[in-house]
Amino acid sequence: MKSTFHLLIVDDNPADVSLVEEALKVSAYAGSCQSVGDGVEAMAYLSRRGSFAQAPKPDLVLLDLNLPKRDGLTVLAAMKAGPEWRRIPVVIFSTSRLGRDVARSYELGANCYVSKPGNLSEYFAAVKAIEQFWFGPVTLPPQGEEQ
Amino acid sequence: MSSFAVQPALDQSAQVKTRLSALLVEDNQLDAELELRALRQGGFEVKARIVQDEAAFRKALKEPPEIVLADYNLPSWTGVEALHILRQEGLDIPLILVSGALGDVTAVECIKRGVTDYVLKDGLARLPQAIRRALEEQHERQLLRQAEQGLARKAAELARSNADLEQFAYVASHDLQEPLRMVATYTQLLAERYRGRLDENADKFIAYACEGAERMQVLIRDLLAFSRVGRKENESASVDCNAVMREVVQGLAVAIQQSKATVTFGSLPEVWGDRTQMAQVFQNLVGNALKFHSAQAPTVSVQAEENEKEWTFSVADNGIGIAPEHAEQIFTVFHRLHARTEYPGNGIGLAICKKIVERYGGRIWVESEAGAGATFRFTLPRESRPAAEA
Amino acid sequence: MQTNDVDILLVDDSPEDIDLSMHALRSENLANRIFVARDGEEALDFLFCTGAYSDRSFDLPPKLVLLDLKLPKIDGLQVLQRIKGDERTRNICVVMLTSSREERDMIRGYNAGVNSYLQKPVDFNEFRAMVKLVGLYWVVTNRPPVANSVAARNAAVPK
Repeated sequence: MKSTFHLLIVDDNPADVSLVEEALKVSAYAGSCQSVGDGVEAMAYLSRRGSFAQAPKPDLVLLDLNLPKRDGLTVLAAMKAGPEWRRIPVVIFSTSRLGRDVARSYELGANCYVSKPGNLSEYFAAVKAIEQFWFGPVTLPPQGEEQ
Repeated sequence: MSSFAVQPALDQSAQVKTRLSALLVEDNQLDAELELRALRQGGFEVKARIVQDEAAFRKALKEPPEIVLADYNLPSWTGVEALHILRQEGLDIPLILVSGALGDVTAVECIKRGVTDYVLKDGLARLPQAIRRALEEQHERQLLRQAEQGLARKAAELARSNADLEQFAYVASHDLQEPLRMVATYTQLLAERYRGRLDENADKFIAYACEGAERMQVLIRDLLAFSRVGRKENESASVDCNAVMREVVQGLAVAIQQSKATVTFGSLPEVWGDRTQMAQVFQNLVGNALKFHSAQAPTVSVQAEENEKEWTFSVADNGIGIAPEHAEQIFTVFHRLHARTEYPGNGIGLAICKKIVERYGGRIWVESEAGAGATFRFTLPRESRPAAEA
Repeated sequence: MQTNDVDILLVDDSPEDIDLSMHALRSENLANRIFVARDGEEALDFLFCTGAYSDRSFDLPPKLVLLDLKLPKIDGLQVLQRIKGDERTRNICVVMLTSSREERDMIRGYNAGVNSYLQKPVDFNEFRAMVKLVGLYWVVTNRPPVANSVAARNAAVPK
């Protein structure tokens, strides 16, 4: 049984990151939470480069699509192509409701797609549902290297 | 010494001469001379070229004349063939046949084929008048063409301008959603976190801000839906209205359960259109029927009738109804008949329905009396194609 | 039932587990249209529109496939690999729900691209609660790849 969960939030809007963190408090999430603001930083974090040398490997990634420097779909594709990352579940968390964004995300291997709701109670409920599912009954892949 | 000079007698040579460049297709030198003289006598200052065969004619056309005078009977070709050549080259130059005896039948034939006029060689006095008339008609044709082109240009500009406006409405409402989401969620968070913890007015002020933000969100969403109606992203296909209604009913499950409503639909046809938009139409109409209910539990019935030209759908309810004088206004954007406190919504639903239905070539209207329920009807042509797939 | 109108495909050969799952899913009003396949072959016929299900359409996949691992005829892992290995079906959300405690099975599942992997609890109530949660997450919170239907668009986050 895992002791602490590590969540990585990839979102360029600090207001959204803050909302997720507030929602996790309400959901009584006891794990750790780290955020990065663009696609390049996300890859640096996952590769444990530079200031992220000590970063824990995330158990779950909450990924926005509209990111500067490198967009969400590019990060997703890189994650699902890399042997050290491809089993990490990725939840796309985006305001986009476009059919093609949803379809493309699944094609590139996203585990699921949650639309960011426009009001507080639904937003909190969505984050809570994500936290309670992925850090609840789900058996997460092991942290070790690819077997 | 008189105070006025003697005016010279007005003779033809002092008339203002009309310049004319003419191309004569004539093999008889004398005839050609006679024609030119007739023109000069008729007040034309003529610059003439004379050709006899087809090759020379084509060559001369490189510098197009204002008028062509052609003999009907030439050794190797007829004057009417000259007309065909003009047509081939796309030149709108009047051609007047100058001929010896020409039977009436032949003359009419030539005119039918497009010759502007014909003049007999022993009636050349008529030639200047014939030319003047031909040039006038040509001028009028030109003006008409210019007017048509101007109209086409204006229409294209208008279409472009409309497309720009729609694009603007779409982009504006789309881009406005994100910052609005921030305002809405954070005012709601403020409301929750600081309820009762700031001074007495704070809760009230924050509540007003929340309400404003939420109303704006709905408005922008509806505007977005409205401006999306004509966009290319909509794909048309064959849509099974029964399946669409089933989904709509499922989507409205909560509202149906809360108002204890009964929603039924008869056997509905397959139509050509965009499935999402058809769903919007049904959803808006059925949703309205549920919303504007009377004291009794709402019953909503959706039916379809066909005739040879079109399908007529009807959504009938037993709700509060609509007074006939409002029957047309309700389809205008943002038009509401009731206060926001009485019934929620910002009055764009019916405008969206109307836009969608009209996009597919149909009409929408309501039959109702205040207090006596309402039946909304809309038609869809049986062979539907969107009116403007620009 | 109209096989093109299925929300959840439940693939399990244990009658008790099927019962519990159906009960859990129906109690939340999550899905009116649950289809049960009792072996891997039937599941594949259903999803690939072959055999008894050749009138099904690839354009109307279920929102969720709940897949057990130990199945007769064709086992769950192979079913998963077929689903995720074919362009026509790889976007379908597959949640593995298995009694296996083998880490190897779990790793193979994730390697094959399973959307999520859960181990069935032994306790009845816990099992039912888990299925409820799974259903709520994948039918309500999640947006499935075929997102154009009115119902999918109107599916709000749990209130």
